[in-house]
Amino acid sequence: MSSEFTDMFVRLDTFSSAYWYRTRAGRYRLEGTRCANCGEKFFPPRSGLICPACHARAMQLYQCAQSGEIICLALDDVGFPAVGYGDAMPRVQAIVRLDDGIHLMVDLMELSDPSEAQIGDRVKMVLRKHRREDTGAWVYGYGFVLER
Amino acid sequence: MGKILRRVMMVGGAITPPRIPMDWTWRQMACEVFWNALQEAGIAIKEVDLVACNYNDRAIVDSSPGPQIADALGILPKPVVPIANACAGNGIASYVAWNAIASGRCDVVVSMGFARSDNYDAMEAMNSQGNYVDYDYMMGLTHINYSSMRDAYYRGKYDVPLQAAGEWAYRCNWYARRNPLAANYDKPMPVLEELCADTPEADRDRQATNRGGVASAMIFVGEDIAHKYTDKPVYFDVAYAFRPPYIGNFFNYPVESMRPYDLAEFPGLMSAAQEAYEIAGIGSKDINMVQVHDLTAYEGMMALEAIGLCEIGKAKEYVLSGGMTLDSRCPINTYGGGPAFGHGSAGSDFQAGVLENFWQLQGRCGDRQVQNPKVGVNTSYGTHHSLDVIGVVQKGWQE
Repeated sequence: MSSEFTDMFVRLDTFSSAYWYRTRAGRYRLEGTRCANCGEKFFPPRSGLICPACHARAMQLYQCAQSGEIICLALDDVGFPAVGYGDAMPRVQAIVRLDDGIHLMVDLMELSDPSEAQIGDRVKMVLRKHRREDTGAWVYGYGFVLER
Repeated sequence: MGKILRRVMMVGGAITPPRIPMDWTWRQMACEVFWNALQEAGIAIKEVDLVACNYNDRAIVDSSPGPQIADALGILPKPVVPIANACAGNGIASYVAWNAIASGRCDVVVSMGFARSDNYDAMEAMNSQGNYVDYDYMMGLTHINYSSMRDAYYRGKYDVPLQAAGEWAYRCNWYARRNPLAANYDKPMPVLEELCADTPEADRDRQATNRGGVASAMIFVGEDIAHKYTDKPVYFDVAYAFRPPYIGNFFNYPVESMRPYDLAEFPGLMSAAQEAYEIAGIGSKDINMVQVHDLTAYEGMMALEAIGLCEIGKAKEYVLSGGMTLDSRCPINTYGGGPAFGHGSAGSDFQAGVLENFWQLQGRCGDRQVQNPKVGVNTSYGTHHSLDVIGVVQKGWQE
């Protein structure tokens, strides 16, 4: 098979399947880490990294809270919107403070209108399709919807 | 902090004008400013001990640019320190240059940067800059989205009116019409009321304009030899600091200097300013002029707060009371700022502020000249304020 493609193909972007593979637990189920020494919780996960609070190197996997509160909202309607989202534009984005104190920047999904979401609203995590990569593969990951 | 063996002085600099020829390569851009800066200061290439150079790592294909830069500049076999840390990376290059001189290892060091972002599709190359790529960027949250979120959060937390942002952009444009190096120098002056409108068009006009390909260079030497090159040398000091790159970690990060702050403040810049002021022997009340790297008006105001010119959340009052103008105690963005000088990324976002303050101290700024300035401060950032840099210049000669 590879003999049919004698020229090396170089992709000039950040995407690779290895990249996605390494981050799958965080992206699919909000798996973070907690320092076994001081208890600080982190997302993105810091597996194998040093705790900035106590400088121990003792991270354990930690399941982040799956729900929280919107503390800031913005529309992806200025400049250059990310490609691959089809008719799901303009996307509504939020900073969410999870119930365990971790903060995330996320897409809000399944809104009938952008104004439906307000600061202070309760939201919960869902796993959804996000967009197509330029390989044609679908990107899956966490998003948030309003608790109704 | 270790012992500083001698002060560092700036004796020259250069920047490419807007709209450079399309066929210039990044090598040609780098040579243009390197050559012009040395020529103006009367420094021979053989006198240069070291070059520190910032570049956009995703906008050139060269994975090891050090020897290529050294070759292009004709300084071989002397070293080049290549630095790729987004827009404010030249602050780090200048930090490298400063250390080389303050330690006594080098006498003449050039700090420079270049951005040739149209080598590739600009937004594809740049969109991930400033994001924690594993999570936010890979989930479709881009550089632009970060800005929108930060501005929305700052406006909400400190009740900042559109009028303040419009005034900011207006003043930047006013100065730009008096600076031939600004991208908007020869464009029609915008109307203040239109800049203050609550429309997507006005929002766009309040943000930075693109400068395209750009390069700039600054020459630093030891205090003991500065008067050999100019009768108006300028003291230069620089400091920088980081904060975590993931936007969620701007909240409640478990480090003492960051825990009290969130998306609406720049604790990295606060730390850097504290160090820079200590080295320079100044306080925030000594500052006569400020240039900030502002891709939006709101982050310009946030920078004024972080450097101690205004209380946290109060920069809107400074701006709305005329604080940016030449009549104020400390004019802001006399070079034109992001909205009107233009975003030069790795090529000039730090250097443009240093160069403006350098030329202001030397009295070379014409209709935008600040009256008798003695201390100038400039700020810049990369990776959405995960890197914040501050430069301090002071008059280094007696009248």
